[in-house]
Amino acid sequence: MDSFRGPLQSLMQWLGGAAVLLICDFAGRQISQVLTLPVPGSVVGMLVLLLGLMLYGRVPRGLAVVSGQLLRLLALLFLPAAVGVFYLEGLSVNDWLALLAALVIGTLISLVLCALLMQKLLGKGDGDSADD
Amino acid sequence: MTDFLLSPLFAMPLNLCAFLLGLALYRRTNTALLHPIVGAGLMVAAVLWSLDIPYDAYREASGVLYVLLGPAVVALAVPVKQNLTVVRQAGWPLAVTIAVGALLAPITAMGIALILGATQTVLMALTGKSITTPIAMALAEKIHTAQSLAAGIAVFTGVVGAVAGPPLLNRLNIRDHRVIGIALGVNAHAVGTARALEISALCGAFAALAMGLCGALTAMVLPLLLSS
Repeated sequence: MDSFRGPLQSLMQWLGGAAVLLICDFAGRQISQVLTLPVPGSVVGMLVLLLGLMLYGRVPRGLAVVSGQLLRLLALLFLPAAVGVFYLEGLSVNDWLALLAALVIGTLISLVLCALLMQKLLGKGDGDSADD
Repeated sequence: MTDFLLSPLFAMPLNLCAFLLGLALYRRTNTALLHPIVGAGLMVAAVLWSLDIPYDAYREASGVLYVLLGPAVVALAVPVKQNLTVVRQAGWPLAVTIAVGALLAPITAMGIALILGATQTVLMALTGKSITTPIAMALAEKIHTAQSLAAGIAVFTGVVGAVAGPPLLNRLNIRDHRVIGIALGVNAHAVGTARALEISALCGAFAALAMGLCGALTAMVLPLLLSS
């Protein structure tokens, strides 16, 4: 019976989900501002929502739908900022080269170290014979 | 005519078209190298350049998108909650890896940049390299670095990790999907998570959780470290 729902009800759920996101974002900004936290307000909002969801026990349908849509559009949301990369000034050739090397080499090093650490810890955790 | 080019009426459809084309290109080629943002970014830049539109005017006209970034960061809590049950059995190894990885990723990159003599601007911008772009931008605003540079660095890092990560781990004989998922989520955020979902649902669940928690953790710890 969960799959049979009127469009009006879906719309209300969608609006409810959108409202939850906006309220958490607003609350997070307020908390961050009032307590002069160095943490970005939206991240505080995310933690508020996560805590709420853990207390609530499950993700309401409307919220799941809105969040999925918004996260699929993520690339569109930061497109204007990404375009700004072509207009950056004040970086020397050396800066660009250092940046490129740091991103390519640094990412691969930390990715491998991270995987090795997780593997090690998991191997110990459940007594697997994966440890070699 | 110029007024029209500088207004949201022009900027918003431009963004939307570029995004859809970038998405179509990505789906057609099916490689993380052409993440939608890569194609879309080049397209928008080409249009701005050929029509002689200043970047600042375009950015201002795209203001609505910036407003939605906040709720999008909040929405990241949903995949974290949804995947929390799937990964519960990995417990403390997971928490430790995410915490260590969140520090390791910016430190290795900053170390390399420092050795190569990069300026302060670059070093600061590298702090948010491995966290999902909307959080990296929010963080950049807090620690006063260029949001565009932070966004570009985050996207590039994600692409590098998602493209080179899985073959590299395979070479090292790391086949556990949980391990690959964590490594991708912590180091290559959303781009890595998309790649992890292609490997398996389990891999994707670990990546989504790692991405969300690592982003939140970095955004909380880093400003404290930098202000002290």
